[in-house]
Amino acid sequence: MMDWLSHPAIQSGLAPFCAALIVAFLFDRIRLSGLAILAGFCTTVYLVADFNFESLSATKKIMLTGIVAGAIAPVLSVLPSHWRMVGYLLGVSAAAVTLWVFWPILIQKDVTESLVLGTGLALFVMWQVVLIDGLSSQPVRAGAVGLGMGVGVGFSALLGASALLGQLGLAIGAASGAYLLLQLLQNKPLSCGRTLTLPVSLLSALLAGAALVLAKLPWYCLPVLALVPLSVYLPVMQKKSCRMQVVGFSLITMAVAIAAAGLAWYAEGAMTV
Amino acid sequence: MISRSIGYLLVLLVALVSFKTFAATENYDIDPTHTYPTFAVSHLGFSTMYGRFDKTSGTFSIDRAGRQGAVDIIIKTASINTGLEKRDDHLRSPDFFNTIEFPDATYQSGNVKFEGDEPKTIEGKLTLLGVTKPVTLTITAFKCGQNPMNNKAMCGIDAVGSLKRSDFGMKYALPGVGDEIRLMISAEGYKK
Repeated sequence: MMDWLSHPAIQSGLAPFCAALIVAFLFDRIRLSGLAILAGFCTTVYLVADFNFESLSATKKIMLTGIVAGAIAPVLSVLPSHWRMVGYLLGVSAAAVTLWVFWPILIQKDVTESLVLGTGLALFVMWQVVLIDGLSSQPVRAGAVGLGMGVGVGFSALLGASALLGQLGLAIGAASGAYLLLQLLQNKPLSCGRTLTLPVSLLSALLAGAALVLAKLPWYCLPVLALVPLSVYLPVMQKKSCRMQVVGFSLITMAVAIAAAGLAWYAEGAMTV
Repeated sequence: MISRSIGYLLVLLVALVSFKTFAATENYDIDPTHTYPTFAVSHLGFSTMYGRFDKTSGTFSIDRAGRQGAVDIIIKTASINTGLEKRDDHLRSPDFFNTIEFPDATYQSGNVKFEGDEPKTIEGKLTLLGVTKPVTLTITAFKCGQNPMNNKAMCGIDAVGSLKRSDFGMKYALPGVGDEIRLMISAEGYKK
């Protein structure tokens, strides 16, 4: 592999950003711009890890979940976005996926700790999936959540002593950034749907959970990250242009993300190899 | 009558051989206070970083007459120690040893090669991060005898080997943090 491709800024910043930009632009015609997030994420997976699932660790399960979510999301996008029941079913399914991902770790702990951790993680992921699913017809807000969650989870995980989880999180942020940039330049919203919201919510929430369980992300970063999707539900800027909304909602979600990363920084400081 | 005598003789011979084999195999428990797998890896090509695992357990056996041996070692990956707690935390994370998910690394072998009366190489299998690959260790020192401090029978061994961490799926920070890992295992065990 070329040397510059092994630079973390390329792997989790520029490469997923470019991949997402291309996919978002090309697939908008068939209303599948949301696939940009998965394209960016898969680019980073290819560069920092690989698609070898020989030993199915929690991180590999998360990657697999993202790919499967991206594959089924276009089908789910056909279902009307006002069917709230679909969102709740997705939330329950996400909770089940969470338990599948973290099960080998949970069973190593005593019953009480396992119950608290398992329930907490499942609720966190469910919260993210249900809340972000509600944004599937609002591309600017959904993109801003992707940016905030990606950057928040990425930097928090990085500070919580896992660069791999951090890079995967930042890839979601970079891909969402590309998706938002296109809307900013064109001053009109792209297509969204569950092809964007499902990978964003599932991947970012599971990566945050993994940083908590497998690395040293402080638990109180998760409630702060849970505020990211909530923050874009603020009834503001509804009459503003698409461009202004992109800037405004990005600033809001980034502020919450920086707060989460700040807590991780305060708790752990920087890591070293 | 003759055939019955031959039969008894054969049974006796088999029993003797079995007893000899049984008696020749000596089994040892690893002494965790004198057993430390150490590793060395290139740091960005500038220098070599060393680290070790502080908690190791297991057994080994040796049959000098039969020129056979076996090794079964369990390394607690969370006990990694490079002398800097923050770096150790990072090495415990999913970037490297993923110690919460994979708390044990194991090395097992039933194939110890001898040169003369001394064991020289161990052809075994290392399981790390849930991936099992063959790893051969070369024995650089081997001695058995009485421990002068407690009069217990014991053996000590120094062995070296190498592996590629990417073979086990540990790909973070390649190629800056080297792929080639040198292993140096110093171990002692008390006879059971």
